[in-house]
Amino acid sequence: MATAISVNGVSMEYKTPKGTTHVLDDVSYEVQDGHFVSIVGPSGVGKTTLLRLLTGLALPTAGEIQVRGKKISSSPDDLAVVLQDYTRSLMPWLSVEKNIALPLKNQKLSKAERKERITASLAEVGLEGAESKYPWQLSGGMQQRVSIARALAVRPSILVMDEPFASVDAQTRFDLEDLVLKVRDDFGITTLMVTHDIDEAVYLSDEIVVLHGKPAKVRDVVKVDIPFPRSQMETRNDQRFAELRTHVYGMVRGLE
Amino acid sequence: MRLLNSRIIRFLVGIWLPIVLIWWWWTWSADSVDPFFPPLSAIWEQFKFNWIWQYVPIHVVPSLRNLFVGYFIGIFAGITLGALLGASPRVSRYFEPVIDFLRSIPPVATVPVFILFFGLDAQMRIVAVAVAACFPTLLSTMQGFRATDPTLLDTGKVFRLTPFQMMWKVRVPNASPIIWSGLQVSLQIAFVVTIASEILGSGFGIGAFTTISIDSFMILDAWTGVVLLGLLGFALNVIFDLVERWSLRWYIGQKKLAS
Repeated sequence: MATAISVNGVSMEYKTPKGTTHVLDDVSYEVQDGHFVSIVGPSGVGKTTLLRLLTGLALPTAGEIQVRGKKISSSPDDLAVVLQDYTRSLMPWLSVEKNIALPLKNQKLSKAERKERITASLAEVGLEGAESKYPWQLSGGMQQRVSIARALAVRPSILVMDEPFASVDAQTRFDLEDLVLKVRDDFGITTLMVTHDIDEAVYLSDEIVVLHGKPAKVRDVVKVDIPFPRSQMETRNDQRFAELRTHVYGMVRGLE
Repeated sequence: MRLLNSRIIRFLVGIWLPIVLIWWWWTWSADSVDPFFPPLSAIWEQFKFNWIWQYVPIHVVPSLRNLFVGYFIGIFAGITLGALLGASPRVSRYFEPVIDFLRSIPPVATVPVFILFFGLDAQMRIVAVAVAACFPTLLSTMQGFRATDPTLLDTGKVFRLTPFQMMWKVRVPNASPIIWSGLQVSLQIAFVVTIASEILGSGFGIGAFTTISIDSFMILDAWTGVVLLGLLGFALNVIFDLVERWSLRWYIGQKKLAS
């Protein structure tokens, strides 16, 4: 299996007026093609920093990140992003359709192809017919679906998500988790998710990268050996699920 | 139906006072023999004679042309400069004192200066209007750009938008509620400067017509000029409001939903 993303000895320091803050220290791991990988860690550990590096929004002070063997220096073509705060990441002045169309404008697509992609992406996330609505006319969960549709419409091979379900209610959260699993199945997309929710990480992932310490290092990479397809009812009651979440939780809290 | 009702009610609430005032002016001035305060009925007769449509081509057309050409040049410059300065707080700090100084000069007072540079033709008037219209828009654009949400910019970057798209599809729309308030002030100032610029050394334009009428004791004509200016100013504002509300319908809808 090919490597989609490789993080090699990445360190990150921020210069502040009070001195240098060392956020990440020699972080390395590899994400295999088609895998679902979650990054967890205590709050403030540097998960968001790592995500900014992965999406090319910031460059590491040492080490490098490669996407399909190519070192990234800006946001890579092959990657799409879903951010936590959908209210600030969707453009409120554009309809749902135009929000999804905006990143497509730079791909060489005919008008009909673009239209087709928008319709298909909305259908994939279960929002058929919402094209002409404004994002703010939709519920939080639906807005996050629009974010996911926008990411899918660019047909990325890698999807990166930053706490994508942190701002929606619990019920919607379960629906969106299953939606993400379905998307992964339908497109074989490599998915990388930053989350502080350990249950969610175990439920969705093939692998969980646990960050810990100040500066943060990779504490462990946990393989989630629960077979797919998973379901909210059964998987979460699985003996193995309980073991894994206890194990990951212990590491995140620094108890193990 | 309720929407219709509330619109009618709002219209009635807005219209009753103007009707009362006009009626009061009409009756109060009806028997006036004071040459400086002619009866409104006489002003109305003269108004129809002057402005429907005899003097429109030589006075209204030049005024509106100077106003619109100057205004659009001014706001285009204001948005462009404001965007450049607002996008970079460091650069804007160098320019702010100069901008603050220039915009503090009452725009009408700058007209004589422009006469020195451009003489007394339409070019001077358009430049004066453009410069006056530029500042409110410039300042509001700078302010709007400074308030850009970093998440929005990150979103643009990760979806690899071009700098042009970042500017016109993300930053300008995001700042547009604030920019529009500057555009409105610009329009009001542009109107004032258009008329004021005609008071000096022009034979054409509504401002020129009104001044010349007063200077030659054509008091009735002067009154029709004043009434016309009032009506024009009001109409411009109404049209502006409609365009603004259409352009910001996303913003208004969002606000309405949140309250």
